[in-house]
Amino acid sequence: MQNVLTKISGEAKFELLIFLALASIPLVFSGYILFILPQYMLFGLLAVSLSILWGLTGIISFGQAGFFAIGAYAIGIVVKSTFLMNSAILGILLGIIVSAVIAGVVGYFLFSAKVKATYFVLATLALSIIIEQLAKSQKEITGGWNGLFVDRISISFGNLLEYSLFNDIPMYYFTLLLTIIAYALIKFLTTSNFGKILRGIRENEDRILALGYNTSIYKTLIFCVSGALAGFAGSIYGTHAGFVDPSLARVLFSTEVIVWVAIGGRNSIIGSFLGGILVASLANYLNSITPEYWQLIIGIVFIAVVILFKGGLAGGLEEIYHRLKSKNYVSARNP
Amino acid sequence: MQNENKISKISRRQLIKTAAASVVIMGSPAFIRNLHADDPIKIGVLSPVTGAWTVYGKAHSRGFELAVEEINAAGGVLGRPIEMVLADYQTDRRLVVEQANRLLRQERVDLLAGTFSSADRNAAGPIVKAADKLLLYPTWYEGQIEEYYPGVCNENIFMFGPEPTQQVWPFMEYMCNKFGKKFFMIGSDYAWPQVTNMFTKEKLKELGGETVGEVYIPFNTPQYESVLRQIRQAKPDIIFHSLTGSDTVNFRKQLVAAGMKNDFTLWTVDDEEVVTSGLGHEVSSGTYVSFDYFMTIKHQNNKDFLDRYQKRYGSDALMNTVGVGMYNAAHMGAMAIEKAGKVDTSSIREALKGIKFDKAPQGTVEMRALDHQAVLPSYLMRVREGWSSVNDMFEQVQTVARAVPQDARCNLPL
Amino acid sequence: MELAASVLLDTTLITLTLALAAFGLAIIYGLIGVINMGHGAMLTLGAYFTWAGLQLEIPFVLSVILSGFIVGFIGLLFEHWIIKRFYNSPYETLLLTWAFFLVTTELIKIVFGSDFRTVVNPYPGSIDLGFYKIPTYRTLICVFTAFVILSTGFVFFRTSTGIKIRAMIQNREMASLLGLNISLTYKIIFGFGCFMAGLAGGLVAPMLSVSPYMGDMYLVRSFFVVIVGGIGQILSGTIIGSFVIGGLETIVALFSDQVIAQVAVFFFAIVILRIRPQGIFSEK
Repeated sequence: MQNVLTKISGEAKFELLIFLALASIPLVFSGYILFILPQYMLFGLLAVSLSILWGLTGIISFGQAGFFAIGAYAIGIVVKSTFLMNSAILGILLGIIVSAVIAGVVGYFLFSAKVKATYFVLATLALSIIIEQLAKSQKEITGGWNGLFVDRISISFGNLLEYSLFNDIPMYYFTLLLTIIAYALIKFLTTSNFGKILRGIRENEDRILALGYNTSIYKTLIFCVSGALAGFAGSIYGTHAGFVDPSLARVLFSTEVIVWVAIGGRNSIIGSFLGGILVASLANYLNSITPEYWQLIIGIVFIAVVILFKGGLAGGLEEIYHRLKSKNYVSARNP
Repeated sequence: MQNENKISKISRRQLIKTAAASVVIMGSPAFIRNLHADDPIKIGVLSPVTGAWTVYGKAHSRGFELAVEEINAAGGVLGRPIEMVLADYQTDRRLVVEQANRLLRQERVDLLAGTFSSADRNAAGPIVKAADKLLLYPTWYEGQIEEYYPGVCNENIFMFGPEPTQQVWPFMEYMCNKFGKKFFMIGSDYAWPQVTNMFTKEKLKELGGETVGEVYIPFNTPQYESVLRQIRQAKPDIIFHSLTGSDTVNFRKQLVAAGMKNDFTLWTVDDEEVVTSGLGHEVSSGTYVSFDYFMTIKHQNNKDFLDRYQKRYGSDALMNTVGVGMYNAAHMGAMAIEKAGKVDTSSIREALKGIKFDKAPQGTVEMRALDHQAVLPSYLMRVREGWSSVNDMFEQVQTVARAVPQDARCNLPL
Repeated sequence: MELAASVLLDTTLITLTLALAAFGLAIIYGLIGVINMGHGAMLTLGAYFTWAGLQLEIPFVLSVILSGFIVGFIGLLFEHWIIKRFYNSPYETLLLTWAFFLVTTELIKIVFGSDFRTVVNPYPGSIDLGFYKIPTYRTLICVFTAFVILSTGFVFFRTSTGIKIRAMIQNREMASLLGLNISLTYKIIFGFGCFMAGLAGGLVAPMLSVSPYMGDMYLVRSFFVVIVGGIGQILSGTIIGSFVIGGLETIVALFSDQVIAQVAVFFFAIVILRIRPQGIFSEK
């Protein structure tokens, strides 16, 4: 018990440190990083949306980009077509709700029939292709293959205050704030009883079933949450990037998310979050140096992680942390 | 072998760059640097170097690079050299946003050139609008409609490629008279083929022709049986073709395999040198293609241009309309800066309007002030029987020295 | 009537071509339960090796066979070094084969470049049926596909090895008691599946543009062929699955457009996954 407590608090400290660092970046740096980092935070959330499926529950989805795209289209379409006061908030909510509903329907449809885990992967793959094809073909709504423009939103609080997100720093803190809120909610969820049941499902679904839990409901719920989170990240991304197009839903982007999570550490929420940010940053950096080879490098790293370091970066760090800990422990006992 | 070359080329270029930069830093005291006298004018180039459109990316970035080297060899612009900063967006619109912002905010380029497809350009549209920087766009495209602002009808975007009224209209009468007036349209499922066909149908109606079929194919479709059957039943005179990329090759190979090649005339507005190479001569020979530029254009400018290009990149290096669009964009951009005497956006924009480049490989190119659309030559070519390389791929059928586009449907003037 | 006959002929061509592309996947998935996400890259590799063979002036048929063997050999190495350690964890094999796709696609781009490559149709011309012309080469491919599937069926149902392999699917321990070397059998099956993928890639190359992403076109369709046809039903399942996936797309496209047709097919596949996870016509 003692061990678990110190571990949790250690991780929480680390998380706090990460978010403090993110919050202080605009104080130190300026320029491009302030523009691009919010996008990578959203990619981090997208990675988290997969890790609560994969690491926590033991389900893989090849369709997270599909939900991300739904979110981005939702805000784009709402902001474009309505002149309501809070169309931005409406757009974000719509992105979350539509993603969650689609995830819920598809999830329940499949989980309630006890579809094999690997089949579920293929179904999410198909789902993501359907979303991409519909985005391409429904030109009147989505702009088709040529894409849809999304204005930077401003958030208004009643008639009193309007907060425009046109400039980089307001957008940065807006995104960071939402990221922290979403992260905290997910964190709460995973440490709650609900999270424990999900972990139980991952370890041994039959036992949880035998204990009287309807596991397909739980799996559907977590897929809903995951879809909602991805849709949420996508909706902020849409207004941040200013442009949405069907390629956002493509399978290659979904699998990029898998690579982020595998490298960051599938069992760790903060690891996945950082995986999204770090791998995307690295990709951007290497892009300007060796565009031909970086994808090859990423592919090889991915293989290495899957074969040798299942815990990813987070697992590695944790191990080092524990080793240091135990060394201290040993040296404390034997002065 | 090819790759070893590539690596050494990159590192050599970087080496020269580093060396040049250190010379500049060491050679000039700090106060001179503040005057920016020798600082290069930076142009960011967005190319699909990797990803699905790599095939176009090579000619795309090389066209610009060659022009920049020519300009610098001739002493640069305003006494300053031009530095090209290349960014690869991997044929991914998400990365167009990422890389365009990197070029503008981190590399602090003075203007942008590139992007390939209309969707890529649309992704960059809001960015150049917000940052108030120019984007020089090289590709043949569907023309401008206010609805797609800020991807088009954007005062900061200049178009160096042809649109349908330049690429198709000039040759409609010839094709109709020669082969007949029944058109079957097949295109990829997005805006460019649809708008191109819309214009084509408009002109066809004027000429008393009819459209006997119109289908749009999703990207990456491997099999075409049902489309081929539709074509057989519709019995058109001309198959008007605007599929893109690998779908072009898939469709055309299957059209030929079905024994239908000699039953119809095929007119394509997509297959420049890159795609036609991919088709091979058995499949492509005898088809008609129209564009503003072909490697086989008989024009002194083109001969000189290809001499320089092939000396620089090898005798089998491909060039095409997009590469030439980039080449012209670089030269005309530089001319505009020279004329403006300054590198701020509004000065370059004003100077670019109406600029005329008579050394363009395809003839004379003029940037129309009204809607930022290039007035270009236009060529109708026939793919030669049994061609062996890009150097003898097309034979000239019809030439229009000055194809003037329809006015853009924007709030003019831009 | 002629329309019906031509639709039927087209559907047959589509079905058998799709079956050819999916066969390697069906074998690996059906017999050893590995979802080979690298299947698309293996098709692409087969096409490139065939192209390379033709550049070296090796005759087409020989080039295709060689491509099959080279891709099969690559598959064997991949199995031996990596996959064999993960037979009990389906997710890991799925991720690793996907990584195979990523790495192979990049290597193809580096080695062969990304220009479109052309494999010339070795048997041009068409067979004229009076009311309809069918391409000679497509017909040959379809005959070949039927031959391959039937002969695999023969091995599977009429030889003692086939019987042992079928026993292995049911019960691994029992099969090893029967004297079957399980790990060797897995290796051979994986290699054979890759061989078929390479062969299929070489065979479809003359109909398509040879580019680093060409295999993607068939990857997802192939999965659904396998799912709709039913896992383990590698012979009849592949044909039925291809018929449903390819035929459905053709027929829906007759009444609406191609995009809707593709969406309908994928949607249908999800529904099949749920209501008949064992395949639409198989009993179990």
